[in-house]
Amino acid sequence: MLSARDISKSFGASQALSGVSADFRRGEVVSLVGENGAGKSTLLKALAAVFPWDTGTVTLEGAPYAPKSLAEAEAQGVALVFQELNVNRSLTIAENVMLGRLRRYRRLGLVDWKQLKAEAQAILDRLDSGISVSADIDSLDLGQLKTVEVARALASKPRFVFFDESTAFLNNREAHRLLAVIRNLRDQDHGVAFVSHHLNEVFEISDRLVVLKDGALVDSFEAAGMSEGRLHELMVGREFDGGIFPAATPAREEARIELSFEDVVTRSGLGPVSLDVPAGRIVGIGGLKGSGGDAMLQAVMGAEPVLSGRMTFDGKPFRPGDPRDAWRQGIAYVPGDRTGEGLIPEFAIEENLTMAARPRTAGGFVDRPAGRRVADEMIARLRIKAAGRDAATSSLSGGNMQKVVLGKCLATGPRMLLLNNPTRGVDVGAKAEIYRLMRQLADEGMTILMVTEDLAELIGVADQIIVTRRGAISHRFAPGARPSEEEVVRWMM
Amino acid sequence: MDDVAKSAAVATPPAKLAGGRGIRDLFPVLLLAVLCVVFALLSDRFLTVNNGLIVLQQSTVLLVAALAMTFVIVNGSIDLSVGSIVALSALAAAAASSQMGAFAVMPAVLVGFACGLVNGVLFAYGKIPSFIVTLGTLVIYRGVVLLYTRGAPVSISDPGFLQVYASRSFGIPHSVLIALAALLVVAVVFNHTVFGREVRAVGGGERVALLSGIPVNRVKLGVFVLCGTLCGLAGLLQAARTMAATAQLAQGLELDVIAAVVVGGTPLTGGIGRIRGTVLGVMIIAILSNGMNMIGMDPYLQNIIKGAVLIAAVFLTIDRSKILIIK
Repeated sequence: MLSARDISKSFGASQALSGVSADFRRGEVVSLVGENGAGKSTLLKALAAVFPWDTGTVTLEGAPYAPKSLAEAEAQGVALVFQELNVNRSLTIAENVMLGRLRRYRRLGLVDWKQLKAEAQAILDRLDSGISVSADIDSLDLGQLKTVEVARALASKPRFVFFDESTAFLNNREAHRLLAVIRNLRDQDHGVAFVSHHLNEVFEISDRLVVLKDGALVDSFEAAGMSEGRLHELMVGREFDGGIFPAATPAREEARIELSFEDVVTRSGLGPVSLDVPAGRIVGIGGLKGSGGDAMLQAVMGAEPVLSGRMTFDGKPFRPGDPRDAWRQGIAYVPGDRTGEGLIPEFAIEENLTMAARPRTAGGFVDRPAGRRVADEMIARLRIKAAGRDAATSSLSGGNMQKVVLGKCLATGPRMLLLNNPTRGVDVGAKAEIYRLMRQLADEGMTILMVTEDLAELIGVADQIIVTRRGAISHRFAPGARPSEEEVVRWMM
Repeated sequence: MDDVAKSAAVATPPAKLAGGRGIRDLFPVLLLAVLCVVFALLSDRFLTVNNGLIVLQQSTVLLVAALAMTFVIVNGSIDLSVGSIVALSALAAAAASSQMGAFAVMPAVLVGFACGLVNGVLFAYGKIPSFIVTLGTLVIYRGVVLLYTRGAPVSISDPGFLQVYASRSFGIPHSVLIALAALLVVAVVFNHTVFGREVRAVGGGERVALLSGIPVNRVKLGVFVLCGTLCGLAGLLQAARTMAATAQLAQGLELDVIAAVVVGGTPLTGGIGRIRGTVLGVMIIAILSNGMNMIGMDPYLQNIIKGAVLIAAVFLTIDRSKILIIK
């Protein structure tokens, strides 16, 4: 048993953990749940010695446990799988699995490839991964790459494996495969700690739930007796009226068509796709990653060349040459990769919020007063939790960063909003706020086209659901229809 | 609301992080002060008005070129051809001075503009890395100078030209006034225009900038055109100082220029940078060279000291904790 008592950790002025106690037993999956900033990842990272905890004691099988580095923690039997993908694509699969242990395979100063491959394969087989070490690493999908990382964690022969948001960037199918891997680990008598924003995953896999809020322990519960609604309340500390999804607004009589695709074919293999997006509605596109939704958004943004077919916007032919053309027409875009496409973490919040609007005075000078006004307005309107508009964006939590990207869009006063996985890696409180905002914007007349891999979000938020499969639309649900997840998934596979 | 209390607790690092960087910001100033004190102690000729003016005069070319380079580096690129552009522009000024007199500034700046345009088009629209483009044009522009001069210097004797660019008013060299005017314009463009913001954004995250509607290619082109044009002006100042254009003029200048920008605290990774830092970096490089001469240091030893100071300065200035990968 890994047993943490009264663990506290602060980063500068902020208290990330205050007096948290938790037990992890072998043969058990414990999920840490809580909003962003609740301290889930901090607890796991401290226990895996990514950074030291400040005060408190930890024992491992009764003996004191205080590793000074990730490697030391692994040596004592505690391994961590990070949220981000940490696979080096210029190495082979076997090398990735044994990364950090390659020295063990030295024979006369050279690498003993045969043994390296055999042992890496043995671990991958233990996970039932179906991955062969001789496969090309570029042929693996994200879920398989994540499995390679799990295999790497297992190469240290750990007794406890921690998963920190490991499903955040996986699609439905990939996430399920990882959950199977985790179940497999538990059955092999490993202790597993799991952090995920997807409560359905948490319920699917957990034996026990440890609920954290604002860095403190709320309590620990058996997973069996817990309901999703109750868990939400515990995490947020308040009740959600009618869940996190706002009520839909009934469609108006004859909605004008804001954006339309007519037999659009793009260079990455989308199409032909035809779709009408009515003004003031939220149209949601579901599907596996790369099945067409992303490409449709990219085409509208002029970031993906359209080979044939046509688009119209506001009734006029629309053919943007680059994203700038789209923004000028009043189309704003929240990309899927927050820190790589949506904002620059090193910049101040104000600079990110004004990056698209770029308020200026005559002569091309920055309009500082307008910029500050816009920034303050967005921070207040979107309830961005920040020290101020001059704070570094990197100091924000994932949910607040996402709000900054949304604020960047709204600062341009758009008539249409394109969203790619708008709440990926965002805590449930911020999710609910973003959904409410989307509904409010649509009611005010804004047209929203959302691509998402989160089924609950797709079904809960969209006025009309479209499903894509291999670059084409496989199904259009009737406007206003609320299908079950199974019905949607059927059209995705 | 508890939101207020929360916002204070959640927003971890204080607002300072994005704006000032604390003690590290002061480092170039401290280094400059230390250099001045050391040289003043070692040579009584160092801390004089006359020597101060000499340092300023010696640093004008470096300053103007380093201001130009700051834009390029903050944009996430590099321009290795600045020395060659300065040489070619100086040649244009020298060759035109006999007919045009003081108006020889026009061909000089025009040549710089054209060189920057070529660099920028190849980089932004030809999608060739700026390092490669300017490594090529470094050789090409220098080659044009060699081809034209055939190795023989082109001297400047036009009194009108020398009166405007190589003399003093109220004891202050005109070249220093021109460089200060350039500094003023550049500081305004960098800090107060939308273009300046866009340069930072492209350097900080090109994909983010592109998807936010910033005309990335136009910004990149603009940066290189601006750099070339300023180097054209630097070429004019160089020609005025040496009263001639030679084939070897400003050879290796790009290294001093990059050193000055980096010592001033601007990382080569782009997105971050300060004009003030570059001015300090230029003064450090200029005073280091001047001071070592003043104390009569072995000229063969000077390069070693210069290189060591560069590495030490970057070691102390750059906040490595925020940069995960150093290449």
